[in-house]
Amino acid sequence: MALDESDSVAADRTDDPADASRRRLLAGLLTAYTASLIPWALAQPAPHAERGAFTALSAILVGRQALDGAQATRLYDALAAGNARFPAEVQALLSLIGERHIDPRQLQGVLDGEHSPLAPLPRQIMSAWFLGVVGGGGDARCVAYETALNAVVVADVLKPPTYAYGAYGSWSAKPNA
Amino acid sequence: MPAQQSADIVVIGAGIVGALAARRLAQQGASVLMLEAGPRLESARIVAAFRNSPLKGNWMAPYPPSPWAPHPIYVPRDNGYLKQAGPYPYPAEYIRAVGGTTWHWAAQAWRLVPNDVRIKSLYGVGVDWPLSYEELDPWYQEAEEILGVAGADNTGSPRQHPFPMAPVAEPWSMRRVRERLAPTYAVVANTVARNSRSYGGRPACVGNNSCQPICPVNAQYLGINAVEAAEAAGAKVVPNAVVYRIEHDAKGRIAAVRYYAPDKSEHRVTGTTFILAANGIESPKLLLLSASSKYPNGLANSSGAVGRHLMDHPSTSLTFYADEELWLGRGPQSPSSINTLRDGAFRAQHAPYRLDFTNISQVLNVTNDLIKEGVYGAEFEKQLRWRAARQINVKNVLEVLPNPDNRITLSTEKDAMGIPKPEAHYAIDDYTRRAAEVSKADFARIAALMGGTGLRYSAEGQFANNQHITGTLSMGSDPASSVVDAFGRTHDHENLFVCGTGVMPTAATMNSTLTAVALALRTAEHILPAKQAAAADGREAGRA
Ligand SMILES: Cc1cc2nc3c(=O)[nH]c(=O)nc-3n(C[C@H](O)[C@H](O)[C@H](O)COP(=O)(O)OP(=O)(O)OC[C@H]3O[C@@H](n4cnc5c(N)ncnc54)[C@H](O)[C@@H]3O)c2cc1C
Ligand code: SF4
Repeated sequence: MALDESDSVAADRTDDPADASRRRLLAGLLTAYTASLIPWALAQPAPHAERGAFTALSAILVGRQALDGAQATRLYDALAAGNARFPAEVQALLSLIGERHIDPRQLQGVLDGEHSPLAPLPRQIMSAWFLGVVGGGGDARCVAYETALNAVVVADVLKPPTYAYGAYGSWSAKPNA
Repeated sequence: MPAQQSADIVVIGAGIVGALAARRLAQQGASVLMLEAGPRLESARIVAAFRNSPLKGNWMAPYPPSPWAPHPIYVPRDNGYLKQAGPYPYPAEYIRAVGGTTWHWAAQAWRLVPNDVRIKSLYGVGVDWPLSYEELDPWYQEAEEILGVAGADNTGSPRQHPFPMAPVAEPWSMRRVRERLAPTYAVVANTVARNSRSYGGRPACVGNNSCQPICPVNAQYLGINAVEAAEAAGAKVVPNAVVYRIEHDAKGRIAAVRYYAPDKSEHRVTGTTFILAANGIESPKLLLLSASSKYPNGLANSSGAVGRHLMDHPSTSLTFYADEELWLGRGPQSPSSINTLRDGAFRAQHAPYRLDFTNISQVLNVTNDLIKEGVYGAEFEKQLRWRAARQINVKNVLEVLPNPDNRITLSTEKDAMGIPKPEAHYAIDDYTRRAAEVSKADFARIAALMGGTGLRYSAEGQFANNQHITGTLSMGSDPASSVVDAFGRTHDHENLFVCGTGVMPTAATMNSTLTAVALALRTAEHILPAKQAAAADGREAGRA
């Protein structure tokens, strides 16, 4: 799947000196192990440590080579608004993965096996990124639809429902042909 | 003293069926007043509500009920409007708003097969209808021309005249299913009220794949189109008018209906002829609510059949991964079916069924599955694409036989207006369950032909509901066992007619709206025959 540079904050070029420190911030949050999972994220700017940790953890969970900075802010704000402990939990999970070298593929099993209070966290973050949905049950809120990653990663083949696929009959052709 | 209104024809319920009866009668010069419990909705707002909804898989989410005219909601939790008496749940869905439930239908607009109306004579099960398929045929045609139905001739339902439109272009996914299942199964295009070209002032489908819960461009015909057509013909609609009582005179003729406005002010409407078209649950509820000393069991209920014989189309299904990329979600949601099992001698033993392939995008379901499975890292995106490209689902649409114990009654609980809520008593009998069992072999064969892996059958004994509420106001020749006659007139009240899927005495295997519309047009003709020239005009007007 081709990467769209334009939706990545890495493409955000500015010479502001404050920006350099925002970029260094994230590197300081990562261990050698977590940095190896998301080498591209080392150059990501972050306004503060909590938001930086969210970007890093999101990058590990989502497993993409770039994440949209504005979207990260929107999701972070929505998740933090719904749960005062969210910033601390994010930092705790990021540290845990870094210290114990947990493979993302094993992560849920490890957390469940240890009855970790952090066990629900990865799913909350994945739901925010991939579904654009924050919170659960009656409190669930939609904060993204067309820009949710489950729309983005199939955008070469499908339009999100309610968006026109194309001219009448265009769907009869073989996808990606 | 309640405010008074009056009309020649008073229609209760501005859904697709009531509105098309109203339109035809208004075209004949009658004054027509439609009383609609719910508010007017705006398409653009529904689209926005869907896009902003955290519950994209729940098609009721963009349609929150009004406090004065509630409808059932089950997600994220049951709003307790449709009470469940068991033993099997009957989670019916409908929308109380101007235009009714077809705001979010799939626009499958099928005819029955001729033998569907004679299953008692032919197979010794259910009941026969008081009319033949041949008598229905011209009314189907008129309905198809109004709705703008696209279809092909190979679906098992004979016809005298061509469809108004060619079938909707086949999605790639369904082409592959059709090619790979041949010759074992014939996969055919669904007959749908969805434009394959511009028709009736509405555009051709552009493949938004959101037919349920809302077609943003109105390429599929909706109840609101019927309401607007009725208004254009001169009918008046009163929204937010919750009818709570039908009144009769000393001779048993209907004299008036009463409704509440949202502020609970009372209004009374008199008329010459009354049409009850409030759907298969709310219509029987209203008849039961209108009990009087002369009719202690409710109106039109000397047979005791009002609310009984509740039927729908339960479904079981199989989901699996095909061995090639199909990418469901390109084009309309409901494109194709296997229709060869709708009829046969086996109907003496078990229910017939249609096999229905969805073309709904699998992206949402697959994302939910992956999140549930706790998949993280690069694997997530890889799996999402792999599964969304290959996941496919086939379901059966099973006939249910009329059983007097399956029924709608009045609950002891009341809604915010003080009107009793409806209560469902429902069970799925062995006739239907046997067919579900038989169809499993079809599911397995289909999966094998598609190189299927990861087969997931719906849970044993669990049936999804298809929201085709039938039987509760059954038509029949015998007033002792049916509610209305072959023209929809109640046996008990000369000037009270019923229109809707509820009048169908058996459910057959096809989505029931087109049949209900055809019967309603026939009822309208019976009430006020069209002049020949006017009838021809009406047909022309329906054509693009
Ligand atoms: C998700 C979904 C998909 C569907 N897909 C299909 C399909 O593809 N093909 C098909 O054939 N069918 C389909 N159906 C079923 C179809 O929607 C119904 O058969 C159809 O709407 C019936 O039309 P109606 O006019 O009889 O009832 P409705 O559309 O329910 O309209 C009845 C109207 O009466 C009003 N009313 C109720 N009570 C009162 C009262 N007390 N006073 C005044 N007004 C009242 C209601 O507010 C409503 O507007 C689907 C249903 C659902 C839920
Ligand atoms: S696919 Fe889109 S345009 Fe076509 S009927 Fe469905 S919602 Fe409307």
